[in-house]
Amino acid sequence: MDPFEVEGDSRKSNKPKYSKFTQQELPACKPLLTPGIVVSAFSLIGILFVPIGLASLSASQEIVELIDRYDTSCVPMTDKVGFIQNSKTDKTCTRTLTVPKQMKSPIYVYYQIGDFYQNHRRYVKSRSDKQLRYKEAAGLTKNCEPEGNSADGAPIIPCGLIAWSLFNDTYTISVNKKAIEVNKKGIAWQSDKNNKFGSDVYPSNFQKGNIIGGAKLNESIPLSEQEDLIVWMRTAALPTFRKLYGRIEADIMANDQLTVVIQNNYNTYSFGGSKVLVLSTTSWIGGKNNFIGVAYLTIGGLCLFLAVGFIVLYMFKPRALGDPSYLSWNRDILD
Amino acid sequence: MRPERPLLPPSTPPLPPQQTEEAAGRASVDVPDRLPDPVPSPILRHSPASSTRRSRSLRSVMANSPSVTFAEDIRSGSKAESSASSFENFQFRLAGSMTGTPAGVARVSTRRSASERAGSQRDLRDEDARFVYINDADHTNAPPARFPDNGIHTTKYSILTFVPRNLYEQFHRVAYVYFLILAALNQVPQLGVFSPVASILPLAFVLGVTAVKDAYEDWRRHRSDKTENNRTASVLVGGVFRPKRWKEIQVGEVVRVVANETLPCDMVLLSTSDPTGVAYVQTINLDGESNLKTRYAKQETMPTPPEALAGIIKCEKPNRNIYGFLATVDLDGRGAVSLGPSNIVLRGCEIKNTTWAIGVAVYTGRDTKVMLNNSGAPSKRSRLETHMNRETIVLTVVLVLLCSIVTLLAGIWLGDHSDELAVIPYFRKKDFSSSNADGTYKWYGAGPQVVFTFMMAVIQFQVMIPIALFISMELSRVGQAYFMVQDKHMFDGKRQAKFQCRALNINEDLGQIKYVFSDKTGTLTENQMEFRCASVHGGDFSDTDGGGGDGHSVTGEDGVVLRPKTAVKTDPKLMALLKDGAGEKAVRARDFFLTLATCNTIVPIVVDTPDPAARLLEYQGESPDEQALVYAAAAYGYTLVERTSGHIIVDVFGTRQRYDVLGLHEFDSDRKRMSVIVGCPDKTVKLFVKGADSSMFGVIDKSMNSDVVQATEKHLHSYSSIGLRTLVIGMRELSQTEFQEWQIAYEKASTSLLGRGNLLRGVATNIERNLRLLGASGIEDKLQDGVPEAIEKLRQAGIKVWVLTGDKQETAISIGYSCKLLTRDMTQIVINSHSRESCRKILDDAVSMVNKLRSFSTDPQAKMPLALIIDGNSLVYIFDTDREEKLFEVAKACDVVLCCRVAPLQKAGIVDLIKKRTSDMTLAIGDGANDVSMIQMADVGIGISGQEGRQAVMASDFAMGQFRFLVPLLLVHGHWNYQRMGYMILYNFYRNATFVFVLFWYVLYTGFTLTTAITEWSSVLYSVIYTAVPTIVVAILDKDLSRRTLLKYPQLYGAGQREENYNLRLFIFIMLDSIWQSLAIFFIPYLAYRKSVIDGASLGDLWTLSVVILVNIHLAMDVIRWNWITHAAIWGSIAATWICVMIIDSIPIMPGFWAIYKMMGTGLFWALLLAVTVVAMIPHFVAKAFREYFTPNDIQIAREMEKSQDLHDATHPEVQMSTVARA
Repeated sequence: MDPFEVEGDSRKSNKPKYSKFTQQELPACKPLLTPGIVVSAFSLIGILFVPIGLASLSASQEIVELIDRYDTSCVPMTDKVGFIQNSKTDKTCTRTLTVPKQMKSPIYVYYQIGDFYQNHRRYVKSRSDKQLRYKEAAGLTKNCEPEGNSADGAPIIPCGLIAWSLFNDTYTISVNKKAIEVNKKGIAWQSDKNNKFGSDVYPSNFQKGNIIGGAKLNESIPLSEQEDLIVWMRTAALPTFRKLYGRIEADIMANDQLTVVIQNNYNTYSFGGSKVLVLSTTSWIGGKNNFIGVAYLTIGGLCLFLAVGFIVLYMFKPRALGDPSYLSWNRDILD
Repeated sequence: MRPERPLLPPSTPPLPPQQTEEAAGRASVDVPDRLPDPVPSPILRHSPASSTRRSRSLRSVMANSPSVTFAEDIRSGSKAESSASSFENFQFRLAGSMTGTPAGVARVSTRRSASERAGSQRDLRDEDARFVYINDADHTNAPPARFPDNGIHTTKYSILTFVPRNLYEQFHRVAYVYFLILAALNQVPQLGVFSPVASILPLAFVLGVTAVKDAYEDWRRHRSDKTENNRTASVLVGGVFRPKRWKEIQVGEVVRVVANETLPCDMVLLSTSDPTGVAYVQTINLDGESNLKTRYAKQETMPTPPEALAGIIKCEKPNRNIYGFLATVDLDGRGAVSLGPSNIVLRGCEIKNTTWAIGVAVYTGRDTKVMLNNSGAPSKRSRLETHMNRETIVLTVVLVLLCSIVTLLAGIWLGDHSDELAVIPYFRKKDFSSSNADGTYKWYGAGPQVVFTFMMAVIQFQVMIPIALFISMELSRVGQAYFMVQDKHMFDGKRQAKFQCRALNINEDLGQIKYVFSDKTGTLTENQMEFRCASVHGGDFSDTDGGGGDGHSVTGEDGVVLRPKTAVKTDPKLMALLKDGAGEKAVRARDFFLTLATCNTIVPIVVDTPDPAARLLEYQGESPDEQALVYAAAAYGYTLVERTSGHIIVDVFGTRQRYDVLGLHEFDSDRKRMSVIVGCPDKTVKLFVKGADSSMFGVIDKSMNSDVVQATEKHLHSYSSIGLRTLVIGMRELSQTEFQEWQIAYEKASTSLLGRGNLLRGVATNIERNLRLLGASGIEDKLQDGVPEAIEKLRQAGIKVWVLTGDKQETAISIGYSCKLLTRDMTQIVINSHSRESCRKILDDAVSMVNKLRSFSTDPQAKMPLALIIDGNSLVYIFDTDREEKLFEVAKACDVVLCCRVAPLQKAGIVDLIKKRTSDMTLAIGDGANDVSMIQMADVGIGISGQEGRQAVMASDFAMGQFRFLVPLLLVHGHWNYQRMGYMILYNFYRNATFVFVLFWYVLYTGFTLTTAITEWSSVLYSVIYTAVPTIVVAILDKDLSRRTLLKYPQLYGAGQREENYNLRLFIFIMLDSIWQSLAIFFIPYLAYRKSVIDGASLGDLWTLSVVILVNIHLAMDVIRWNWITHAAIWGSIAATWICVMIIDSIPIMPGFWAIYKMMGTGLFWALLLAVTVVAMIPHFVAKAFREYFTPNDIQIAREMEKSQDLHDATHPEVQMSTVARA
């Protein structure tokens, strides 16, 4: 033994204290990518992913979706913009759809707008979350230009481009000529209603400017109850998006005739955006989307293929793990 | 102001050691113009102003000493200049052949020598001087003088200055300026990508972490300053010595220090308890040398009681040279007496063996030499960091490219939509409410809009350059350093010396070393000399088998037995000859040992032992060789028992004999010998000389007895071939006239103020001639533990070990064999020539031989091992001419290079030879001041904290106790650090790039307007919080291979030399991976949520979590050793991110309120997270699995071996690991 270790107590010792930590000898696991692990990892992913893929694909197939683009047919061929901007014209438009498969309630009614950059930087910034939430913050309209204050300088509530451009087409739906209720309650997130939009904040000076962006709001209803606004204010991530319009709480049978009376108010014509009405049932994966199922199946298949590929490679080019003769300096001697 | 001095009485203290050394540099320069300030590289320094004059005088110096060698033209430049500059730094230490050097060895750090020496060479002009009125602090400090008090402030900052100064220092890093500019740009309203707080946050965070680190260090300094400043010293106040706090001591005050007390300031000695005015000081705190040095009070100041002293000391302005001091003292107009470095004692030293000493403070506080020397090691930059810059530039290009794409597309989009912009609801540039129809909102015209887009893009994508990388690197280096310091395998139990990391920024360089340049003495060897052989009058006495080993005890005057501390084995035949022999041989033998006992600067010190009847006699001196010789003389009956400045008492077989010291010629590197003139008890005057054989044989009268000379030469050869350090001893009896002539010359020389060193050297050379050869000694310097094994390991690791030594060729070769540097199967190429032409020829031959050997065998395994042995002379010729290239060619082909007889500056030149021509990393290791230049020149400098002081340690990047620690340092820690740091840098680039690419893909779907779905907070927290900790933890703790494996297979070190863990190829691969992963992260959710109700915040949260999970899983996949800390860091990081996202989404006034909770409630979210992770990782996993199995590198195979070994150990715990056979 080191004599200094014995002596160490009498004199001040500099000797580092020994511990597993300081000597970097903490117990550790050293996983290695052995053929077994590689093949079983790929197999496992494959086995896990294929069923998930099949399940979500079938779930997606279960979903019945009715899609109707109406923006082009609901306006005259000429001067679309003039037509839509004129408040005097009758913008009613009737569309008839046939339901291909039975749709179980709840059936969600969406409007889908295309090429509307709700994620445009100018647009997403043009809001005042404080104003939406707190009554006292009515004057916080700094970010809301050009819809911050009315001509006389009073703050617009809710201010900003987002609120200003609120969607204002309306749909009246009847099944087999029989009107059916579209429930517009509970389309917004409960969390938004409770905490994000103030129950004591009422619209004021809204859509009073020279140019009307979209829907008007009932000034006697607090923002927290203006569910269309709340839905609209949750800006979409992508330029083509859907927003929930309402819910039909009744089943619709296959081959039923759906008549939708549309008030085609919303101006997407000035920038060439499309407007689509969507009716859709739902399942655990959300709306109809085969992509996720296909993706899972592809990944699963690819992984199974890779597993087989690696098995073949391992069989044709085997190598003993940890064989010192593979070390470069030993290999040089062998060559 | 020339002092008038009486002739020196014989008892005058000999000139202190440093003075001659100092003077050596002075040449005959009278008042050189101000020399340039010290610059970091010693060899680059030239002093044009004085060069011509200086070199002229140099030539004459050189003419006298043909064997002096130094690189005349290591760097290009005029010869006169370079020789002048090399002369300034010329610090020669012939390890093999010199002994008598208290300070003949270079003690002055090369970095600062030149100008300071020049400073002390000057005649002290009044305007360059500081006037100190002894005992009159008020007068001294009267304006305009205003000297600082003795308080020290090593702190960098005060509370007030901390913020500005620390920020100023941190912003020296260009990257931080870049981030600052971006943060500033972000404050422009048009460019406000992030909210003001968010944009500053990452920078503030990294600056803050660094500032906290700096503040803590500074606080510790502050604390130690405080204790230091409040120590008390005894100061003369109103005629009485009273305790006074250190910080209150002022220049001019008289301070009294007693034994074992630390000196509070630099002071000129006035008187000491010793009647001759000697005081012994230990300078361990100053330069680390533990031996005692003698300092003197002037005879003129000695008799006056301190309270009655009055006078003026005129001294130099404060400077950093701890071995130089130039001043005069004028005691009440009695005339100026010159003061030198031996009259000053410096702050930090301790008074030893002296009851008390009184001095007057001349430099206080920050002016003290120790404080002026208190600067850190020069900072070097690691290779990895230099390479990292290349990749940073690539990333910058990518960044600019991304921004340009966005800008271009944004421009096109604006152009396409130009007529709609006024009305489209998401742009609405027109101000309809205003009466002014042209009014617009936030619209500055298409041109500026495009420019703004570009700038916003830069701000948005700024993290492409990883801001946290720098601080992460710093923190991981601190962690790595901690583990290096804590490593028990690098702790020197013998000296209680821990490993020290002095430079914190080149840890990873340790893993890439290709060349090791090692000093020999003290680095490979212990530097603990042992007397082994004596050749006396032609007879070889090296058979110590029958001799006693207990040394020779003598009885002191008071009857107490004095025993030398170290026993030396004696040769009984020689012992008998000394005791009872008669005839010439016996006479010479006695003179021989008398020379050993007297011709030195050793101070005998008596130490009490537990036994009251016995004391230990300890020889304190600055040269281990001298100590060995004096101990040997004691063992042979010539015990040195007392030395004062005037006389020496030697106990010769029980009889005390007194020798008067009449003169002493210090060792210097030109003469390479020292001599002493003593008055013997029989009234004769004798000159005893000892020195290197090369210098001694020139001054020995060979005609006297040529057979003795021949026999001695033969013995010398055989001694050095077994690796002993040899010295030749000679003497001469001086006649009365000779002595008187010498005395007059000596007095004149030693009182001269200018060129004193030169004059003294002339006097010495004059008297040291026609010597009678007495004999020669052989001293063994034992190899340190484990040196041969360490060298063997380093060589296996593919590291070329070069040994640079001042030893003779034979000694060097034999040491080479004993430390396994040279092996018998090696072909030695010896370049050892005395003329330029022959040198050139030998070199040409060597080149052709090397080429021939190379062409013979193309097979690397059959290669004939080559060794190059070259001496300093030849190096001079080679560096002088344009032959460097050829030397490099030969040296590169050789497995071993041994340079003998090299001067310190040549050592640096050799390192530079390699550094300039290859990109290979160099490491220099040494222990002495003569290695400083080499240590600073090499990429990595390592100091051995050994016998020769701390100069090398102070200049080094790492310091350790033993040469053999180089093996764990390089092979284990170096390998780990390199692997970790290389991975960490790549990973940081990858991590940030992935994030930026995700942002970029999204920008393509937002009308190119730089909106992010990811909240700005997640954006800024990403690289500093979400993903920073795991990389640091992994960079500190991960180990690709265990210590055991790395030491068992030193070849694994090659990974670092071949740059396997960080190179452009890896960078490109990881960037491709990063692009693929960002595509997976972005497009899988994109495709899944296309035409859905998804809102920006929800999708942003999904992307945030995907990126963080993915980069952490990527890291997890590359972690090799999982311990609980790694687990905690990686999984903890993911959890922390999740929590952060949840917190951000719980703030009602954030647009994305509650998004994450909504998302987590949908199955699609989880399905996508899983799919993204798997899809993104597949290429990396496949590549990794394929590479590791089908094209494994050495490290991979070693890992597998380790794994199977572990399994084996687990099942057969008792079996040793040696069962893994080597093929």
